[in-house]
Amino acid sequence: MKSYLSLWKKLFLCFVFSSYALVLYAQQPVSGRVSAGDTSLPGVIVYIKGTSVNTQTDNNGRFSINAPKGASLTFSLMGYRSKEVSVNNRSTINVELEPTTQGLGEVVVVGYGTQKRKDLTGSISSLNASAYKDQPVLNASSALQGRVAGVSVANSSGAPGGAVKIRIRGANSINASNDPLYVIDGVALSSIGIQDINVNDIASMEVLKDASATAIYGSRGANGVIIITTKNGKAGTTHIEYNGFLSSNKPMKKYKLLDAVAYAQQANHIAGSAVFADPSSYAGKGTNWQDLIFHTGVTQNHQLSVSGGTEKSRYYISGYYVNQSGLLVNTNQEKYALRANLDSKLSNKVSIGLGIFATHTNSHNNGDIGSKGNPVTAALAWAPTEPVYDSGAQYNRFAVSPIWSNPYMTIKERKSDNSANSAVVNGRLKYDITDWLSFNVNVGLDMNNTRNAYLNNDWISPGNPGSGQSYLENYTLQNSNSLTFHKKFNEKHDLTVMGIVEETSSKYNTFTAAGSGLTSTSNGYYNLGLNTSQGISSAYTNWALLSYVGRASYTFNDKYLITATYRADGSSKFQSTANKWGYFPSIGVGWRLSEEQFIKDLGIFSNMKLRGSWGITGNQSINPYSSLGLLNGVQYSYGTTTLYQGYLLGSPSNPDLKWETTKQTDIGMDVGLLGGRLNITADYYNKRTKDLLLQVPIASYDGGGTMYKNVGEINNKGFEIFVDIAAIQQHDFSWTATINASAYRNKVVSLGKDSILYRPIIGGGLINTNIQVVKTGQPLGAFYLVPWQGVYSSDNNGFKAGDNHYTDVSGNGSIGYEDRVIAGSALPKFQWGFNNNFRYKHLELNVFVQASHGNKIFNATYAGIAAPTSDVKYPTLAESANYFTSKNTGAVWADPASKTNRSYVESTQYLQDGSYVRLKNVSLSYTLEKRATRFADIRFTLSAQNIYTITKYKGYDPEATSTSATSDADAGIDLGAYPSPRTITFGVNISL
Amino acid sequence: MKLYITALLLLMLVTSCSKDFLKEDPKSSLTPDNFYKTADDLNMAAIALYTQVNGAFNQSGGFSTLWGGDDMTVARAGNKISYSDFDTYQATSSNDRMTNWWSYFYATIKSSNSLLSNYQNATAASEDDRNHAAGQAYFFRALSYFFLTRTWGKVPLITDNKVDYSRTKAEPSEIYTLIVADLQKAETMLPDAWDGTKRQNGVDIPPTRGSAKALLANVYLTMAGWPLKQTDKYALAAAKAKEVIDNKAAWGYELTTNFADLWKKTGKFNHETVFGCYYNVNVSGWAWENYNMLTPNAYAPDDEGGWGDGYGEINFYKKFPPGPRKEATYQSVYYINNDPGNAVDWTKTQHKHPYFFKFRDDDAFNPVNHVNNNWIGSHTVFVIRYAEVLLTYAEAQAMSASPDATAYTAINQVRNRSGIADLVGGLSQTAFRDSVIAERGWEFAGVEPAARWYDLIRTETVGKANSDRDASEETLKSIPDDASHTFYWAPIPIGDQQLNPNL
Repeated sequence: MKSYLSLWKKLFLCFVFSSYALVLYAQQPVSGRVSAGDTSLPGVIVYIKGTSVNTQTDNNGRFSINAPKGASLTFSLMGYRSKEVSVNNRSTINVELEPTTQGLGEVVVVGYGTQKRKDLTGSISSLNASAYKDQPVLNASSALQGRVAGVSVANSSGAPGGAVKIRIRGANSINASNDPLYVIDGVALSSIGIQDINVNDIASMEVLKDASATAIYGSRGANGVIIITTKNGKAGTTHIEYNGFLSSNKPMKKYKLLDAVAYAQQANHIAGSAVFADPSSYAGKGTNWQDLIFHTGVTQNHQLSVSGGTEKSRYYISGYYVNQSGLLVNTNQEKYALRANLDSKLSNKVSIGLGIFATHTNSHNNGDIGSKGNPVTAALAWAPTEPVYDSGAQYNRFAVSPIWSNPYMTIKERKSDNSANSAVVNGRLKYDITDWLSFNVNVGLDMNNTRNAYLNNDWISPGNPGSGQSYLENYTLQNSNSLTFHKKFNEKHDLTVMGIVEETSSKYNTFTAAGSGLTSTSNGYYNLGLNTSQGISSAYTNWALLSYVGRASYTFNDKYLITATYRADGSSKFQSTANKWGYFPSIGVGWRLSEEQFIKDLGIFSNMKLRGSWGITGNQSINPYSSLGLLNGVQYSYGTTTLYQGYLLGSPSNPDLKWETTKQTDIGMDVGLLGGRLNITADYYNKRTKDLLLQVPIASYDGGGTMYKNVGEINNKGFEIFVDIAAIQQHDFSWTATINASAYRNKVVSLGKDSILYRPIIGGGLINTNIQVVKTGQPLGAFYLVPWQGVYSSDNNGFKAGDNHYTDVSGNGSIGYEDRVIAGSALPKFQWGFNNNFRYKHLELNVFVQASHGNKIFNATYAGIAAPTSDVKYPTLAESANYFTSKNTGAVWADPASKTNRSYVESTQYLQDGSYVRLKNVSLSYTLEKRATRFADIRFTLSAQNIYTITKYKGYDPEATSTSATSDADAGIDLGAYPSPRTITFGVNISL
Repeated sequence: MKLYITALLLLMLVTSCSKDFLKEDPKSSLTPDNFYKTADDLNMAAIALYTQVNGAFNQSGGFSTLWGGDDMTVARAGNKISYSDFDTYQATSSNDRMTNWWSYFYATIKSSNSLLSNYQNATAASEDDRNHAAGQAYFFRALSYFFLTRTWGKVPLITDNKVDYSRTKAEPSEIYTLIVADLQKAETMLPDAWDGTKRQNGVDIPPTRGSAKALLANVYLTMAGWPLKQTDKYALAAAKAKEVIDNKAAWGYELTTNFADLWKKTGKFNHETVFGCYYNVNVSGWAWENYNMLTPNAYAPDDEGGWGDGYGEINFYKKFPPGPRKEATYQSVYYINNDPGNAVDWTKTQHKHPYFFKFRDDDAFNPVNHVNNNWIGSHTVFVIRYAEVLLTYAEAQAMSASPDATAYTAINQVRNRSGIADLVGGLSQTAFRDSVIAERGWEFAGVEPAARWYDLIRTETVGKANSDRDASEETLKSIPDDASHTFYWAPIPIGDQQLNPNL
């Protein structure tokens, strides 16, 4: 109790005086900098020898610790030879460490515990915060992008706080989630997502990839696990750090569109009559809708943290603020966050810890903007001949084309606000029963309370304004209790055995109140009673998991390693007891060849380990009640303004639904060369997922829709490699680089009795049939399109010159959807990242390139403005002017005025190569050391992101898609997707 | 040692509640198990039927299968090609517009089947409530199959709620057998009048006993023609229509005095509607099936910012007898670019065709400049009007017996309301029939469900009607043959063919 009191006292003083000159100890402060060559080394653990007192160096390699005058300090860091230095009455000690065999002593966080890297049998990648310290990162997912082999990250929406798609070793499932499991300080996130976590609080992330590593999370491990460990204080002096940056965000590119004159001429040609009496009268006039809806956004980001502690208690407290305005005008997000991590030793045997993270987010117009008529597609399709306003502030609501509303009006008049409170709280208790047996309790809560509110004024909802609010709360409680046995026998045998019982339950409640016929908009969405017709609704779901886990690891003579895990999970989402329970075993073995004399004799390898693993993991991440056959609500008005509730029969129930399971085999190798300056990790894996939780389509004649069944099998196999090179290590100059690359093949092995499954139509009205299928022998995300060969240059077999030339695959003499063929997949085949750090004296340069290859994108945004479709009468795309005429027989585009031409948007004409190589980050930073500033280490960073992209893709951004970030069977469709910006950032880091 | 025990006890603790812990309890959802118990449940199940039928009739999509009639055409350009494919006889199974009817009518059938197999379990409801619910389900199932088989011919005949990927197509004769049986049940189970929310402005919103009889009369009339050609059904049609006419006071049916009043925005509730689909654009929230996208923009001319999903064929327009009916059916003045100062007739519009005006007058239509301020509205879709009952009677009576005085009275009521003179007396059976068919054409032209197309196919006159197509109209890709009935039926949508090769 006493140590807690002193801790609180200290925190209090910290906050009151914001002072760091707080000396509570009768020891002498020793500070200094740890470096290798001239590179500062962050994260070096500094111990006072013979005690447990320790600290860690900051991002600039600086440390400070209170040590007795005669003590010795030890400095250790993964990849470097540890060093011992005696204090000898000095107050400043600068230390140089030499690189050694990399990573072996490093402690890696594994599921429900830690292990030394040398003892691992599974495939686990670690990402330390220092890897992205010079890149302005707002989200943990951006930090992962391109830096971890086998992890693919795509910013599918560039909206502030927009969706990010993360996949570890490909996609296993068609309808159940393929998102990895995020575990933050032992709490598996359910109610909130990784984007809600403050990235600045993250000390390290471990990515668990193979079954030996993930099977311990059996129930939710099939898609890989990302374990996030947040920062904590170190015993010693108080450490205060400020991190801030300011960015300006601009669109990376814009579409080239017809000017008003060319548009009017083309419209007249298409209509065959004078839609525009005098096209030339538009010369020098016209509206550039793209310029109107996009603007330069600004992001500011501030983080202040205080950490420190005593031998018995440690703390880390941080406050965070970010304000981001989007590329689209009138979109914005603001976030506040607070974290407190506290740890205390109550006695020699009992220690407790508490982590509290709370965040408040305000988003303005940041939600999904909707389908085909969203402002991005509408701005591209809207006639340049149309004015923004009819007169004064009266918007011009409708255009000659398309049928969608004025995009500038939509985006300016929209008012949709979201206010979210999220928190992750976890309490830990560790009781060392004996020196070989310990008992751990971890209780966690993650929660999210969100209020959405909107006002549809007369512009958004003509003649019928309305307002509404909805509120949702989501609470997930988790309790894990574990007993761990660890003992070394006869120096050679090292055995760890652990048993866990875990219970998770997640509750979701929501209610909505909305109305229309708003009699006054002056109260915004605050006075719902002003709506003349009102509607309410509410919903509730709950799911639960009950799990029993065991793990045993055994090491013989530091050479031979074996780990076995077993997990039994009961899920509420399946009906019978037999179907509720899934059983997930795994086994992993390792052989540290570098410990064998015959390898040592070669004198080449500083490290060499062979790993192999096999195991089964499960997936149950479908919505609760999916197998129950619930009725679907509908509403009907009897021709009045009031809606009455009714119910439709839903899809049939399926009491036989059960776990989807994935079997994974992994073979890997870790090699260290050149005395540890070159490290290579390579893995091959093969995953087979069976009993897929599949939404099988029901024929329209049986009412349409889908139902869940356990059908089919999917195979993912791949190869991934990670190389870490300290290429140049000189006194004034160094160059270190990491390269990671992963290639994988995804294949649908079987679909039960079917060989093809049609995906739902996305973008109806523009796209009128299923353009994606799941087909045996093909990867997920396969496109299914009518093959387009260009334009007939002369009359041919009933088709006229200037008509689109499609292949009559079915041979039935006409072109139709029966002619669709597989035309590529939205899944990338090969991805890589190349991260470089150059240092010259106090200057550091980071150059980071990230790339993705082999994926296709169906560019529906482009299709929607390239040819007449049901919603767009007259195309706007500049290229579309190159249409066939008798004088332009080599044209790319069919004559849009042709009466014989039949165009299919659902053709390969609009399928584009989504491969890209992107210069993701370049940053230059300069550090003023404390001895120069007499105040603190100050680091200035100037950087730019998304600087240059090499791609054949014709849309705004090959990363951006309109398909849900949670789906892989529907993927790679761009229908007005929100692009990521190009940013320029100035950042400051002050560390004292 | 105590601590070991405590620890183990803690471990045990969490397992104790496992039984209920993993049980699913969807507290905010209805399941088939806890539904169909009370009168309110039956009412909520009936609402499902209204919304699904509403979804079929609230947009041009399915109506496009009727564009082969000689009353309607459309520009073969841009985004109208899929409509034009029916107009010019080249639609394929990939046609994206027709699927709306296929999906919504079968969704209606699914909900009807579910209600029919469960209504008797609603023991908490009165027998009347159960019968009224089932009567509606029979009516809507019959109505759906009537549209499906007239449009696609042979279609799967489904009376259960199974999911079956091997269903086969039924013959029209089997389908009509079910339709007749369903309507015979509906006419006994439905009430004569509704109350509460089901009756607005003195008009019954759901079908009544009279609606079922009127629909059955139409069904019999169709069965007498192609493809069944069961001419004995003329007598049944006449008798059934006569029941409606003789008892019209029981249901409050009558012709609206002024034809034009039906098409005003004030005319959405009227006594001529024997069965209609009702919409309201001013409901709160997004409720698609409560909006009508036929109005006000879909059939407005491009010159006035409309979509031009279809417009009148020139020769049909020319033959249309002048009078207040014609003035209400077609737009007479066109404001180019919504400029009342630039008023022209149809020959000066972009597409040089007369446009239908029936679905224009709505909340979002500005009569001053013809601006359509929205593309959804509240107009009622009259699925069966009393005028159709009269014309069904006239035709069926003439064909089963003779064009007697009652037949003349029936057709002349419709003609006189339209401002045209009585039909010439003493016509032969077929001449009288042809006059009724023509009358039906004028009366229901302009996207009404009592479509000209259905009259042409049942009388096998599609090819004949096309022989009088104006030379300036879009070229026909094929000409239907009235002997072999080519293009009489739409192709089955490819989506379900993909799932079931038997189609």
